[in-house]
Amino acid sequence: AVSALAGMEGSPAARAKGERFHTVTPLLESWALSQVAGTTVLLKCENVQPTGSFKIRGIGHFCQEVAKKGCRHLVCASGGNAGMAAAYSARKLGIPVTIVLPEGTSLQVVRRLQGQGAEVQLTGKVWDEANLRAQELAKRDGWENVSPFNHPLIWEGHASLVQELKAELGTPPGAVVLSVGGGGLLAGVSAGLAEVGWQHVPIIAMETRGAHCFNAAVQAGRLVTLPDITSVARSLGAKTVVARALECTKEFEIFSEVVEDTEAVSAVQRFLDDERMLVEPACGASLAAIYSGLLQRLQAEGRLRPSLAPVVVIVCGGNSIDSRQLQALRAQLGQS
Amino acid sequence: MEGSPAARAKGERFHTVTPLLESWALSQVAGTTVLLKCENVQPTGSFKIRGIGHFCQEVAKKGCRHLVCASAFFPSFRTHGRGNAGMAAAYSARKLGIPVTIVLPEGTSLQVVRRLQGQGAEVQLTGKVWDEANLRAQELAKRDGWENVSPFNHPLIWEGHASLVQELKAELGTPPGAVVLSVGGGGLLAGVSAGLAEVGWQHVPIIAMETRGAHCFNAAVQAGRLVTLPDITSVARSLGAKTVVARALECTKEFEIFSEVVEDTEAVSAVQRFLDDERMLVEPACGASLAAIYSGLLQRLQAEGRLRPSLAPVVVIVCGGNSIDSRQLQALRAQLGQS
Repeated sequence: AVSALAGMEGSPAARAKGERFHTVTPLLESWALSQVAGTTVLLKCENVQPTGSFKIRGIGHFCQEVAKKGCRHLVCASGGNAGMAAAYSARKLGIPVTIVLPEGTSLQVVRRLQGQGAEVQLTGKVWDEANLRAQELAKRDGWENVSPFNHPLIWEGHASLVQELKAELGTPPGAVVLSVGGGGLLAGVSAGLAEVGWQHVPIIAMETRGAHCFNAAVQAGRLVTLPDITSVARSLGAKTVVARALECTKEFEIFSEVVEDTEAVSAVQRFLDDERMLVEPACGASLAAIYSGLLQRLQAEGRLRPSLAPVVVIVCGGNSIDSRQLQALRAQLGQS
Repeated sequence: MEGSPAARAKGERFHTVTPLLESWALSQVAGTTVLLKCENVQPTGSFKIRGIGHFCQEVAKKGCRHLVCASAFFPSFRTHGRGNAGMAAAYSARKLGIPVTIVLPEGTSLQVVRRLQGQGAEVQLTGKVWDEANLRAQELAKRDGWENVSPFNHPLIWEGHASLVQELKAELGTPPGAVVLSVGGGGLLAGVSAGLAEVGWQHVPIIAMETRGAHCFNAAVQAGRLVTLPDITSVARSLGAKTVVARALECTKEFEIFSEVVEDTEAVSAVQRFLDDERMLVEPACGASLAAIYSGLLQRLQAEGRLRPSLAPVVVIVCGGNSIDSRQLQALRAQLGQS
């Protein structure tokens, strides 16, 4: 049974039942994107997950599993979508969680996490320092550190997305389009495709230039650490992709593509007007695969079939966007 | 996912089980847990697919060979809207593999016509306003034996909408403190009431929201009888029925319904706040429900002793709606002096 609600605080019962914290999300046909793509485009709406993104799948699963093994306290160095998912999972499990963030983190982010019942510690100037602190606390006090994307349990949890696609579609989609930050979603979707016998379904893995650690690794044939994140798509901002993501390129048909910030932000605006949902630029990278004509290009290059089965775009979601931020980004990129 | 006799036989539903999400932002404003029933992520963009899907399925089982539906879209021209119902009817017909004719006023934008045709619907343009299109739809139904799909006025439609409450029951187990919804023609109100009765939640208060200028239900409640508004003057076009369905007024005797009216400016302001708080863009019609939270209506009803001081989680039905984009929102805000 789904339990995504307040008033249903964590309990040993919840833990024992193995109740999932994510919800089965709608798979909606987008008339507008289908017109642009020349192919049926289906939207897997992870933006309407509890906590606003797909992360609750993998992080919820991870937290549940470590709780079963006796974890008494969680720690996480993320104030973004992963942190929200960790805080929510901890609340559902009735386990305390400490979120460690850099000093200077906005009060609103701190309050929102505290609103989920999390303890928030501010330390250091950048995320790396906060992350070090989280690791120290985990070691010192025997807490479980919740990675935002780098753990097999997280990938296992994300795979549920593909299970839902299988249940809904029956037959394989023509392709799955997704965004790559640290590579957790890519690893999870790949695992899911293998689970349901869809390992031949192409994955179109989208990044923005300036947050393209996966593409850099694919080009180099080995893991690459970007010197810095220079894209506006902050949620894609991992400097190194997880090793598992690079391994996936040998086992699955993955097209690694990079779009400019301006394409991602433009896609966010178009999607808001076409489908009335506001998503982060990180998600815009996936939408740009449609709006920028990438699908047709891959078809023209013979890398995708000319006649494609419906293409699933994972609308990964994300909390860090509002209308003012969108306008600021558009202005910054000369779009308005 | 085209229609087939198999789909008909299976009694497959056309709507989806929608997420029920806790809204941190609205809960902060309300001082009570607020849960959002996200009908905006239904196929066709609104809750209407529940009732209209069910209606179409039932008439198809009885041998219906052709559906007809009068619809209207804005802001091409000034008329009350039935756009969401038309989309739901076209979609249902496509899933069933049955032809559908959508009758629209002349002057409907080409984009809308194309979109409906893209769903496989035949489109006829006639008359200046929805009422004339509706007359034509009724003529066609009579002449050719087609089934006319009402946007909100049929027991099968209310029966279909009741599925929303079944989902709430399955998800919550225990009754919510209240259900907040918008009233246009009253179909959703009638359907939610039916659903509450079905699951044994008939004591759950319903906060029925309208905008001033599209307040046919409130007018009826005040008068104690059905009232026909002379005109729709609210910007919330999708609420634009001049007379509420009789069943909605009957419901006030059987259920605890608070009929409340907000100004256009509150509804549009709520749309903007909701976009920033929850990243979903909805029509002003839906904004009327959100205004129940943002305008402090919940707290007022509590202060007046009409709602409990300590409320179980309140469910706000995010009814959705297709007829809004960022430019239209900005235009509305400017029109109302908000920017």
